[in-house]
Amino acid sequence: MKRWGIAQLLLTVGLSVALWLAVALGCVCVGSTGIHWPAPGQWAYRWEPVILSSLVGAALAAAGVVYQAILRNPLADPYLLGVSTGASLAGYLWKLQTISTLLGALGLGTGAVSQQFFAFAGALISVAIVLALSSRRGRLEPLTLLLVGVIVNAVNAAIFLLISTISRDLTAVPTFLIGGIQTNLSQQQILAAAIAVAIGWMILMWIAGHLNTAILSEGEAQSLGVRIHRLRWTAMVVASLITASAVAISGPIGFVGLVCPHLARLVVGSDHRRLLPISTALGAALLAIADAVSRLMIGSAQTWLPVGVLTALLGGPFFLALLWQNRRRMALAGGMS
Amino acid sequence: MNLLSAEHLSFLYGNRQALNQVNLTLSAGEVVALIGPNGSGKSTLIKLLLGHLSGSGVIRWNDRPLRHWSHRELAKLVAYLPQSPQTDVDQRVVDVLRLGRAPYLGPIGLESERDLRIVQQVSRTLELDELLNRGIDELSGGQRQAVFIGRCLAQEPKAMLLDEPNTFLDIGHQLELFKLLHRLAKEQSMAVLVASHDLNLAASFADRLILLSQGRIVATGPAEQVLDPKILSQTYQIPIDRIDRPGKPPLVFPSFDR
Repeated sequence: MKRWGIAQLLLTVGLSVALWLAVALGCVCVGSTGIHWPAPGQWAYRWEPVILSSLVGAALAAAGVVYQAILRNPLADPYLLGVSTGASLAGYLWKLQTISTLLGALGLGTGAVSQQFFAFAGALISVAIVLALSSRRGRLEPLTLLLVGVIVNAVNAAIFLLISTISRDLTAVPTFLIGGIQTNLSQQQILAAAIAVAIGWMILMWIAGHLNTAILSEGEAQSLGVRIHRLRWTAMVVASLITASAVAISGPIGFVGLVCPHLARLVVGSDHRRLLPISTALGAALLAIADAVSRLMIGSAQTWLPVGVLTALLGGPFFLALLWQNRRRMALAGGMS
Repeated sequence: MNLLSAEHLSFLYGNRQALNQVNLTLSAGEVVALIGPNGSGKSTLIKLLLGHLSGSGVIRWNDRPLRHWSHRELAKLVAYLPQSPQTDVDQRVVDVLRLGRAPYLGPIGLESERDLRIVQQVSRTLELDELLNRGIDELSGGQRQAVFIGRCLAQEPKAMLLDEPNTFLDIGHQLELFKLLHRLAKEQSMAVLVASHDLNLAASFADRLILLSQGRIVATGPAEQVLDPKILSQTYQIPIDRIDRPGKPPLVFPSFDR
């Protein structure tokens, strides 16, 4: 038995960073024309998609760990809960001419921060709707939660398609339906997202020790000295914030937030103090690989395969396997309090 | 000084009076058993004492009103074991025991040397050393309950409140559990309040019994006094017989014919 002291913390975070860095370096060598060490002039633009995909992957995987813990549901994922499409829709609305004119007129600014804010609001509205509709007397029903998430996703997509059709601008449609890493973002957009994700992640890490008690009943957690409602709300809001920040720059990328926490759990067990950093690193590494592979598969200067296609193709079967495994347990439990 | 004193506790579930003017004290080193039929208010009383429910009346822990205790401070004084503790499929025994240190953890959940030492001590006391790395779902009912008691002990509490901890145990393990609670009370001066449906086990190991019926205390005191067939028959609404044994608490049982 090892103590979870400062040494263990540093070791875990260090290992996580090393894991990601190794993968990221490998991915930098992947260009649309093949795998080779980049020429000196290529480093900057080779790094950009790797950093971006890592940022998005890290945010989604960290949020996935948190949603699974606080909802006590192994199937929870920012995409399935409707958070991603909510943030995407709001992010899209922000880009519309009328909205940005309105925001400019109100003096609210049209910069990257206000886009982040919009995406965050969209994520929170979606998650609030999902939670309100799937709870009965304070109890969250796991299957209802997933169903409501699917419906909220569908409604968000419908609203998006309606608006984009009316405004005769269908260029954003593929990115909305399946997210991908874009390289046409401004420095401010990337920086705003990176800062929001970094701050959010540190808050989550701060409460990681107490997230272990989130699986307990309210009474048990409270009698272990944890203010469980405050913990759940803090975790929910911060996880939605980092999801929104990531989705604002990538569009909804599914299954990363579902798969990575489960893979990490296989390696380090259920202790969130280890689970959160390792899952974050896995998310960053996996999305960087997936993005590199999708660039390698169909890549040219004009077009590329959105990475969301690959994560959905790989993550979909994983989700079904997980659902199959949990079917019996959930049928027995009937619901969660 | 009493570790716990509660006066005039009342609680309403909707229109139903779940507890009505209940008074209670608990001192270090004493085992008190809460008995009574289903729905008599045992769990409600325990939850009120912990602040999980709020009703009317005055509750003092260490002479300080309950509302003046922070969750964290109270968790260092009182441990609680509910009827069905929740676990995660991936949890190992050692993870469950470590959760007991939650009230002492620093930021980012950093543990001190002491945290680890206490977990090791608890594991030795309850003979869990061999099981530490086993999944909690792989254990038998008796072993699981020992682990949850271990989680409580890791809190280094002065009092333990247990809600029907023997529900899913066979008679051998029920006996073991009550022996353990008795030992903890006497050797470590722990105050133990345990709700139980087993009147005879409660009588054998508790210093005092409290019989609840429809939210009221109908009898309190030593087993000889509380396990009165007349009172019990009225409370449980079935005829109850009693056998007196010299030097031992009496045995009570339902007197039934087919």
